[in-house]
Amino acid sequence: MLSGSYLKQPRGKDENVPGKLALVKENVRNADWESAQQDLEDTEKAWKKVIPRIQFSMERDEINNLGISLARARAAITAKDKAGALMELEEAASHWHNLGN
Amino acid sequence: MNEALVVIVRGVIGFVTLLIFARLLGKQQISQLTFFDYVLGITIGSIAASLTTDLTTRAWPHWVGLVVWTLMVAALQWITLKWRYASKYIDGEPTVVIMNGKIMEDTMKKTRYRTSDLLEQLRLKEVFDLSQVEFAVLETNGQLSVLKKSEYQTVTTQDLNISTDYQGIGTELIYDGVVVEQNLKQVDLDRTWLDNQLRNQGINDPSEVFLANLDTQGNLYIDRYRDHIQKLTDVGDYPGPH
Repeated sequence: MLSGSYLKQPRGKDENVPGKLALVKENVRNADWESAQQDLEDTEKAWKKVIPRIQFSMERDEINNLGISLARARAAITAKDKAGALMELEEAASHWHNLGN
Repeated sequence: MNEALVVIVRGVIGFVTLLIFARLLGKQQISQLTFFDYVLGITIGSIAASLTTDLTTRAWPHWVGLVVWTLMVAALQWITLKWRYASKYIDGEPTVVIMNGKIMEDTMKKTRYRTSDLLEQLRLKEVFDLSQVEFAVLETNGQLSVLKKSEYQTVTTQDLNISTDYQGIGTELIYDGVVVEQNLKQVDLDRTWLDNQLRNQGINDPSEVFLANLDTQGNLYIDRYRDHIQKLTDVGDYPGPH
């Protein structure tokens, strides 16, 4: 029941959700939209790998909300909306932090 | 996220937790529960249900809630066991609602106990005539204890000066086709005796027996799987699934 905080930690490079989120943010700040798009896809893949591990000990709403934030960020990046993308990415980071806390 | 899988896992956690906690809380039967115990039981069950199906929150806070309520109940049980005053306050006291054949209206009003409740509970005790009752006590669990006037009490063998044999608790010697060796040893008997008894009744093997019970008079009651009843009595009075 308390394993979530431990299990959300990355088991490999391709599961590092907060690391990849930081990369996306950096790319958005630099208006490098192509790299931001690519890094966001990697973030979503990483997140999908983490979900099966943490689903038993985490609140469903936080899990769902993080997914929604990533989807919104994807739309903002497609629209090249820097402010919107940064808002959503920040919110996704906040959901990640709240998982298990 | 596989919600069904999460519910299964959380359901198992809730079930095992409830099982352990229910054992910890002791052997009080439902019929012995006071109203407060009953509400506590419902609350604990409700928390376990939320633990299983409320996926919007983590299982941990629900589990902590379960532990807290269980500990509070255990603490309350301990307090009422050790401290009579607290017991009187928490569990309440039995209330006399009929004293020397007279209904105590004020007491009934105080306990919000209706006359219809009294009459119903008396009927459940096979008392249909109020004049037969000397004392009626409303117990803390809501049950009514009734003492009939001496002239209406059931005659016992002692009243008739009839001597009776000792009657204790029977011992199961065969349970579900299997001989309970431990019980057989306890009543100082052996397999040879049991086999002889079975053979006398036309039974070749204990596996043919559903239940064999030995009473303290030495009578062996045997029920076989095959009951050889020609015509079954059906208590159902309406056609439908059996």
